[in-house]
Amino acid sequence: MKDIQNSGKEDGQEKSSRGRKDTCWNRKKNRQKQEIKEEPDLDDHKLSSEDLEKKYGTNIVAGLSSARAAELLVRDGPNALSPPKETPEIIKFLKQMVGGFSILLWFGAILCWIAYGIQYSHDPSSSLDNVYLGAVLAVVVILTGMFAYYQEAKSTNIMAGFSKMIPRQALVIRDAEKKTIPAEQLVVGDIVEIKGGDQIPADLRLLSSQGCKVDNSSLTGESEPQGRSCECTHDNPLETKNIGFYSTTCLEGTATGMVINTGDRTVIGQIASLASGVGNEKTPIAIEIEHFVHIVAGVAVSLGITFFIIAVSMKYPVLDSIIFLIGIIVANVPEGLLATVTVALSLTAKRMAKKNCLVKNLEAVETLGSTSIICSDKTGTLTQNRMTVAHLWFDNRIFVADTSEDHSNQMFDQSSGTWASLAKIITLCNRAEFKTGQESVPIMKKIVVGDASETALLKFSEVIVGDVMEIRKRNRKEMEAPINNTLYPACSILSLLQLSIHETDDPDDNRFLVVMKGAPERILEKCSTIMINGQEQPLDESSAEAFHTAYMELGGLGERVLGFCHLYLPAEEFPETYSFDTDAMNFPTSNLCFVGLLSLIDPPRSTVPDAVAKCRSAGIKVIMVTGDHPITAKAIARSVGIISANSETAEDIAKRLNIAVEQVNKRDAKAAVVTGMELKDMSSEQLDEILANHSEIVFARTSPQQKLIIVEGCQRQDAVVAVTGDGVNDSPALKKADIGIAMGIAGSDAAKNAADMVLLDDNFASIVTGVEEGRLIFDNLKKTIAYTLTKNIAELCPFLIYIVLGLPLPIGTITILFIDLGTDIIPSVALAYEKAESDIMNQKPRHKKEDRLVNRPLAIYSYLHIGLMQSLGAFVVYFTVYAQEGFRPGFLIGLRVDWEKDMNDLEDSYGQEWTRYQRQYQEWTGYTAFFVAIMVQQIADLIIRKTRRNSIFQQGLFRNKVIWVGIASQIIIALILSYGLGSVTALNLTMLRPQYWFVAVPFAALIWVYDEVRKFYIRRYPGGWWDMNMYY
Amino acid sequence: MVNRKEKKSCGQVVEEWKEFVWNPRTHQFMGRTGSSWAFILLFYFVFYGFLTAMFTLTMWVLLQTVSDHTPKYQDRLATPGLMIRPKTENLDVIVNVSDTESWDQHVQKLNKFLEAYNDSIQAQKNDVCRPGRYYEQPDNGVLNYPKRACQFNRTQLGDCSGLGDPTHYGYSTGQPCVFIKMNRVINFYAGANQSMNVTCAGKRDEDAENLGGFVMFPANGHIDLMYFPYYGKQFHVNYTQPLVAVKFLNVTPNVEVNVECRINAANIATDDERDKFAGRVAFKLRINKT
Repeated sequence: MKDIQNSGKEDGQEKSSRGRKDTCWNRKKNRQKQEIKEEPDLDDHKLSSEDLEKKYGTNIVAGLSSARAAELLVRDGPNALSPPKETPEIIKFLKQMVGGFSILLWFGAILCWIAYGIQYSHDPSSSLDNVYLGAVLAVVVILTGMFAYYQEAKSTNIMAGFSKMIPRQALVIRDAEKKTIPAEQLVVGDIVEIKGGDQIPADLRLLSSQGCKVDNSSLTGESEPQGRSCECTHDNPLETKNIGFYSTTCLEGTATGMVINTGDRTVIGQIASLASGVGNEKTPIAIEIEHFVHIVAGVAVSLGITFFIIAVSMKYPVLDSIIFLIGIIVANVPEGLLATVTVALSLTAKRMAKKNCLVKNLEAVETLGSTSIICSDKTGTLTQNRMTVAHLWFDNRIFVADTSEDHSNQMFDQSSGTWASLAKIITLCNRAEFKTGQESVPIMKKIVVGDASETALLKFSEVIVGDVMEIRKRNRKEMEAPINNTLYPACSILSLLQLSIHETDDPDDNRFLVVMKGAPERILEKCSTIMINGQEQPLDESSAEAFHTAYMELGGLGERVLGFCHLYLPAEEFPETYSFDTDAMNFPTSNLCFVGLLSLIDPPRSTVPDAVAKCRSAGIKVIMVTGDHPITAKAIARSVGIISANSETAEDIAKRLNIAVEQVNKRDAKAAVVTGMELKDMSSEQLDEILANHSEIVFARTSPQQKLIIVEGCQRQDAVVAVTGDGVNDSPALKKADIGIAMGIAGSDAAKNAADMVLLDDNFASIVTGVEEGRLIFDNLKKTIAYTLTKNIAELCPFLIYIVLGLPLPIGTITILFIDLGTDIIPSVALAYEKAESDIMNQKPRHKKEDRLVNRPLAIYSYLHIGLMQSLGAFVVYFTVYAQEGFRPGFLIGLRVDWEKDMNDLEDSYGQEWTRYQRQYQEWTGYTAFFVAIMVQQIADLIIRKTRRNSIFQQGLFRNKVIWVGIASQIIIALILSYGLGSVTALNLTMLRPQYWFVAVPFAALIWVYDEVRKFYIRRYPGGWWDMNMYY
Repeated sequence: MVNRKEKKSCGQVVEEWKEFVWNPRTHQFMGRTGSSWAFILLFYFVFYGFLTAMFTLTMWVLLQTVSDHTPKYQDRLATPGLMIRPKTENLDVIVNVSDTESWDQHVQKLNKFLEAYNDSIQAQKNDVCRPGRYYEQPDNGVLNYPKRACQFNRTQLGDCSGLGDPTHYGYSTGQPCVFIKMNRVINFYAGANQSMNVTCAGKRDEDAENLGGFVMFPANGHIDLMYFPYYGKQFHVNYTQPLVAVKFLNVTPNVEVNVECRINAANIATDDERDKFAGRVAFKLRINKT
């Protein structure tokens, strides 16, 4: 978090806002979207305490007066994060009622009622059919809407996580008295005392500090404790040591501070509002579904209007034309499809939940499949978020330690005497302890009191040496002292040397042992000898050289290096009774014996490299975005394969060729490491260039705001961006991303809330599973939609033919609903169970603007090929039913007018005369026949939709059992409707002669054969004409 | 993402459309080159040609299953419906005695309708049959074609025959004739070998009062079995279905009267709830007199 005081964007607006620094309160109250991306803007850390007193009108000793505090509380509001504006539930509900096809169906329903109104005005006794139809349509809309609302209501609220972090109580000095008040009542200018274990109650400018260390991980994602003092150590408020941030934890020590920001104006508050201010992007699948709805609605409306005009110009009464319009709309709208899509998505979500991917937002199921860039946080996501000993250096050699999750096999040579000494120092010079009562817990899972480095050392020694606590008991600690380094400002852990003096466990040896650890170069300064193979040797030039080489090498790996040294105090000078005094420093702290180096790293999770490789083969770019140092970041990136073994950054090339970085052709470098500082000075075009030209990118030292900028940059490349993260600092980016993935175990609540998906096992590899499932569901949704759209033509053609040729109506509106919401539902869901046709994980992710869910070939093939065949097949059945009852096909043409008249002696082809009701019943038989014909051909359609490219026989006809359940359901529903409910007049269905069920079978067979031919040519000539025009 | 969506100016949209319609660089018309269009059109020509052929073939097969003379199934016509002449909209016979035009169209229609029943035509085309029994003409292995029909002479309709009738079927005097006919159903043996007749009555009590007296031709509304069975218009070329004429003698004027006529035949049910015209017919009669 270096130098990120201001946003990376150097535009005019930015500059002007910088000029108005002093009025930042007002500005922040009504900041716009652009301004949200700015960095926190503070200069309080640079002010002296007197200036601060003046600025905030307070007194450092006496604090604010209660009256003043109350005044400020009224002015600034309580010290709490304001909850986000919520859309009222009723609005959300109503939105569902008008989204998607609902508008069209409402329109249809209203037309129905209008039609009835017209009928009623002509003849008050007219039938209520249209009222019922309207009601049915309305019910369909309302039920679908409720279903969608229920699904959406499951997703949770982002702010909940932030509010949980609010500390409850604060110890404040007011009216020169110490008081405990609820933290919400803090105001700027309050003097607050904090101690180890407290959450910091507001943004504090520290005034005094006694060994205060804080954990800023909720802010930066880095769990390394940071010392706090009262000096300004950095221009950047986020880097300086004299500011404590709201909601971070004070680990140890005590401090007094002045409140400088409260509530939403705190740094964390700004991040919170950043996260909730980031609009929820439409998920790719939502965009695809919208696109598809537009296509279908476009077809419906344009056909509806065209035929309305045709009908009117054919001198049909307006009432009839309106009824045609309703029919065309109902036929065109796949009423059940959106519900089907939701069910399919939730099936996948369930499947993913079993594999530890918990999906909060259903649509996100598919997003992962279309993801083309994953921006991954490092700490806790790619790494174990646990410092671990990675390398050791002693006897002039570097040893590799096992960094896997359980430390199981430490392979290095432990026979050297140097190791014995080193092990002793590691064990003794360590204040970390296991919490008691964890005997049965494996070492690596034990909870430790102490900071991250010491924890690592403790566990390391426990694994190798054995019972550390016992060893410490045997080597009783006489004294312990931190030695401040006067050269560096206080508080820095690395510059701190830690020293302790112990008795030895050798009863014959009554010397005291001084052990010391700390920054290697500082340790070396204190040493005059070095231990090689257990023998003390004078520290000469060459061993110092060897030390530096090793130190540089380990440091170059991004590891934190610690030096260890010891000294046996001569028993004569320091008898057993000698009393050591920390303040007097009555013991030697120089001319010690250097023993070795240990380097620590937060190691990558063992499953990550494989997962990264899989992502890469799936065409997904993995970018690391971290708040950590570039060197560490790069090292981890290399070890997990985000930067692959053979690719270089511009800096690497420069180093190899021995030229300046500027001279390197940027295009040669596959990889890039960009720091937040560099990012700050970049225009968005430059960022775009980096994102476009490098395949392996690491962003280090980034702020939450910059993470957001990076995500946006990726989105500008038309990429679908997944962001993984665990900290509060990741939450804006998680929200902004097309899909945010939070870690379930390590993740903060804020991150989990901002995310669309939670990895319950924190395993990055689960993402790969998610990608696979997402891609599969996209392919399968294509199949579902193709399946559903096909029969629309078979439902639509009857109306068009009816209008143009004047046949008795082949299929009724209610009957269409029976197909859309009855026979077709289970089969279309069944397609979601279809297995992948090919190795989907070796393909590139789909391009979000080019590879549409519903593309032209899909629409054309469904509508104009299969749909048309279905229509023909259904018409054959229709004509059969009429012909065998006495109305030959030719005779039907133009019969409509007389047919629908209240005429009770209509002559058929044979001279027989029919009453109105007899014809009506015949018409319903026609509906039933048409319905059954569509159903029969939809079975064929269902089978061919199992694959888009492969032959059905390659895919296996019986592998997906659910398809057969679907087919059975189709047949059973149709049988029930015809034979069970055929006598219920309102349904407009009749009992159909058994043989009519088979009339459409030749067409069903034709559909299957034709599709096999299509697939054959697509496979045979990839990229050929069939592939171009017929592959959807 | 919202702010990244570039708003296209109107000119750009038009330009894009122009390029879509005709792209001079790639010589693409509506996104396809000439040869591509030719190929796709050829494909659809062949494909749809094939589908048409397939459709025609299946339709041909279908037509093989139906005979030219009798329909394959007649289950829907188990009960023939009744109908009246003159045929009017909503089946209401309204006669304004003084207003010639109001009934003239009925008369014209009836004249036309009854033309085929003229005795001369009947004598010329149809046989004199033996009443009281079905006039069966079985094929017996050889197509017996055309089949003969029995005579139903217009004179049988008596006062309602309209022959030499200055009252125009009674319409000019407010005593209108309404003709009842039974729907033709092929091979239907109406009456199941027992005699049958048509009866009429007011629908409700007040209708019955307002209806007054009426006479029927042939007497008692008798329909003879010899007109059955019907063999279909292909075979039974000159078939004229039997009629029953009802002359309403003194309908209460200026009142709407609901009349229902039904056929009394052994094998014709007249109580179908749904089909209001099965074996019966209901119509409204209104004589307006000033």
